[in-house]
Amino acid sequence: MANGKLKSQSQGDGAEGPDGGWGWVLVVAMFVSTSLVFGLMRSLGIFFVEFVQYFEESAQAISWISSIGLAAQQFFSPLGAALCNAYNARLVVMTGGFLSGLGLILASQATCLVHLYLSMGVLSGLGWGLVFTPMVATVMANFTRRRALAVGLGFSSIGLSSFAFNPLFLLLVETYTWRGALLILGGLSLNIMACGALIRPECLSKASTKVDSQSRSSQPDLLQRVSSYLEVSLLCERPYLTYALGVTLLNFGYFVPYFHLVAHSRQVGFSEYRAAFIMSAAGITDIFGRIASGWFSDLGRFRVVHLLTLWSFLAGVFIMLLPVSSLTRSYTVMIVISLLYGFCSGALTSMVFAVVPMIMGVERMMGGLGLLQLIESCAGLLGTPLSGWLRDMTGNYTASFVVAGSFVLLGSLTMTTLPHYFSCAEPPPPQRPVLVDNSETLNLELVQKDGCSPEFNHQTAEQRER
Amino acid sequence: MKQLPINILLTLATCRLTSSETVGPTPTPLAPVSSLPTNTKSVHLTGDNKIENVELLNPVNLSLECIWTGNQNKQPNITGYWRKGGMEIQDSRVPVDPENQQYTLQRVFNIVSEEHLGNYTCVFENEAELDFILAVPQIGERREKPIVSYVGDFVVLTCKMEDNKPVPRTWNWFKNNGTNKEQLFEAQRYDITVNGRSAKLKVKDVSEADSGVYHCAAVYNISTSTSKMHLKVITIWEPLKPFLSILVEVVILVTAILIYERSHSKKKEAEANGPNADPKNTQPQGEDEEAEESTSVRQRKT
Repeated sequence: MANGKLKSQSQGDGAEGPDGGWGWVLVVAMFVSTSLVFGLMRSLGIFFVEFVQYFEESAQAISWISSIGLAAQQFFSPLGAALCNAYNARLVVMTGGFLSGLGLILASQATCLVHLYLSMGVLSGLGWGLVFTPMVATVMANFTRRRALAVGLGFSSIGLSSFAFNPLFLLLVETYTWRGALLILGGLSLNIMACGALIRPECLSKASTKVDSQSRSSQPDLLQRVSSYLEVSLLCERPYLTYALGVTLLNFGYFVPYFHLVAHSRQVGFSEYRAAFIMSAAGITDIFGRIASGWFSDLGRFRVVHLLTLWSFLAGVFIMLLPVSSLTRSYTVMIVISLLYGFCSGALTSMVFAVVPMIMGVERMMGGLGLLQLIESCAGLLGTPLSGWLRDMTGNYTASFVVAGSFVLLGSLTMTTLPHYFSCAEPPPPQRPVLVDNSETLNLELVQKDGCSPEFNHQTAEQRER
Repeated sequence: MKQLPINILLTLATCRLTSSETVGPTPTPLAPVSSLPTNTKSVHLTGDNKIENVELLNPVNLSLECIWTGNQNKQPNITGYWRKGGMEIQDSRVPVDPENQQYTLQRVFNIVSEEHLGNYTCVFENEAELDFILAVPQIGERREKPIVSYVGDFVVLTCKMEDNKPVPRTWNWFKNNGTNKEQLFEAQRYDITVNGRSAKLKVKDVSEADSGVYHCAAVYNISTSTSKMHLKVITIWEPLKPFLSILVEVVILVTAILIYERSHSKKKEAEANGPNADPKNTQPQGEDEEAEESTSVRQRKT
C-alpha cells in the first residue's frame, strides 16, 4: 500500500502531471503579481528625486529605501515558503498582497525618512517576499512539460512593466505628488490579492501530509516542524548546495550591467539619450529571452541544466565583451552586444527557476525556492558595491565588468558539477520519503477531496482496490 | 556779523535742497557718461541672419560693431543705420565705405537702465542685418508643469541661476494677486532663503488660497530677470478618488473569483459523486462538504 501511494505521487510529478488548464490562469496571476512586485521595485527611481527634494536628505540615505525593500523581499522569502507549507499558498499570497499595499499606503503619509524605511522598506518588502516565492512555486507545481515556458511567460512581465510603469509613475507624481502617487500605488498593489485568490488549494496539501506523518509522534517538536517547513534539510544535500553556490556566483555578476551600463556608456562618450537606449535595448531582448528560452527548453531537445549552463556561459562572455566593445567606440557594436547580453540574461533567469524542481522534487520546491532566494540575496547585495569599488580603484568600468563576467562564468562552471550532469536523459527527480500506512491513506484521501481533479480520486480508488 | 556766514551757509544748503527737489521725477541721477566702463561686441555677418545675445548686469557703454564682407555687387557706398525695437534710431544713418572689402558699422550705446535693454539691429540697407539682444541673464530652468501640494503640507519653490551665469545681487519673490504682483516677505508662513545663485520660498501650512502664479526675480544692477511658476494646492480627496475606485475593483475581483470557484467546485463534486454514487446514497449535494466527504468515505469502506 505504501508503495502504491508513492507511485501515485510520482505519477503526479511525471508525464501525467498537470499541464495547462487552470495553470494558464495562474500564469496570468503570476504575470500580474510579479509585475506589481519587481516592476514596481524597479520603477521606484522616479520617487528618488522627489524624496531628495522633500526630505532634504542625501542620495545615499534615500537609496536605502529600495535597498531595504529588496533585502526584505529576499530575506522573507523562506518565511513565505514555510508559511505556504504550513498553511496554504492562497492565504499567504493574499496576505502578502495586503501587506505590500498597506506598506505603500502608510508610506504616503510619511513625515520623516524613518517612516519610509519602515513602511515602504520593511512592510512592503515583507509583503513582496510573501508573494513572489509562493507564486512561482505554485505555477511550477501546476506544470510539468511546459514548466519553463510558463515561468518564462510569468517573468516576462518584469521587463514589460518596467517600461510601462516609468511613464505611468511619472504621470502620477506630476498630478498627485509623491504622496498621492504612493497612495494609488498601494491600491494597485492590492490587486495582488486578486491574483492570490486565483490559487486553488492544492491536491497534495503539504501541511496535511506532514501533519499526518508526524501525528504518529504525540507532540511534534516546534523546531522540527519549522525546520521541515523551511526545508532546512535541503542545506545538507550536495546537489542543492552546489546549485545554490552556482546561483550565488551568477548573482554576483548578473546585476552589474543593470547598474553600471549607463554610467559606463556615458564615460565612454555617448550622450545621455544614447546611453539610456543601450540599457533599453538590453531590457527589450531580456523579455524575449525569457519567453523564448522557456519555450525552447520545453521542446525537450536538451536538458534544462545544459541550457542553463549554455545561457549563463554566454551571458558571462557578453558581459566581458561589453567593455571590450566600448573600446571600439562604435555605437552599433555596443548596441549589438547589449542586445545579445539582454537575451542571454533573460534566458538564464527562466532556466534558473525551471531547474529547481529537477534538483529537489516538486514537493520541496516551495521551501527550496525560499532558501535559494535568501542565499542569492547576499550575492546580489554584495555584487554591485564590489563592482563600484573596483571602478573607484581603477577609474573605469572595465575591471568591474570583467570581474562580473568571470563570476557568471564561474557560476556556469559550478553547474557542471551537479550530479548526473553529463547524462543525456533527465534523472528521476528525488522523492521525498513519505511515511504512510493504512490508517493514514484514509486521512490523505479526506484531504484530497478539496478541489481535487477527478482523475486523482480514481487513481487512489484503483490503488485501494488492488 | 558772525551770523552772516552761517546765514549764507544755510541759504546755500536750502538752495541745494530745493534745487534737488524741483528737478523732476527721474528716479536716480544718471551717472556721467564718461565714468561707465566700455564693452565692445563685434560680429561678422556671414550671410545667415544671425542673432547675438548680450548679457548685461551693470550699466555700461556698449559699443556694437557689425562687419559685413559684401557681395558680388561691390557697391562703393552703402547706407547703414540702427534700429531699436524695430524702429529706426534717429540720426543713426551713416554712409559706409568699404575698407579692405569690409563694410563696418559701429555705434556706442549708453546702457544704464531697463528701458535701454532690448533688441538692437544694425542694418546695411537692402543688404544685410543682425540683431543684438541686450538682456539680463535669464533664469535657465523653467518648470512648465504646476507644482502640486496638499492642504496643510508645506511646499518649497526654488529658483536657480545657472553656474555659468553671474550671481544676482539679491532675489525677490512675488505672487500674482489679481492683475498685479504682490511682493512676499519673510513672515509667519513664508520662509525666504537666499544663497547667492539660488533662492527658496517655503510656504508653510498651505491652503487653497495659496494656489496661483509665483514669480522669483533675480535682481541685477541694471534690471531684474524673472521666472514664474504655478502652484496648485489640492486636497487629499484628489488621489483618494482613484484609490477608492481601485479598492472597489479589487474587492469585486476577489469576491467574483471566490464565488466562481465555489460554484465550480460544487459542480465538480457533483460530477465526481455522480459515477461513484452508491444506489443507496441519497445525500443531496449540499454546501456541507464535510458531510459529503464522510458519505464518500463510507462508500469506499464498503
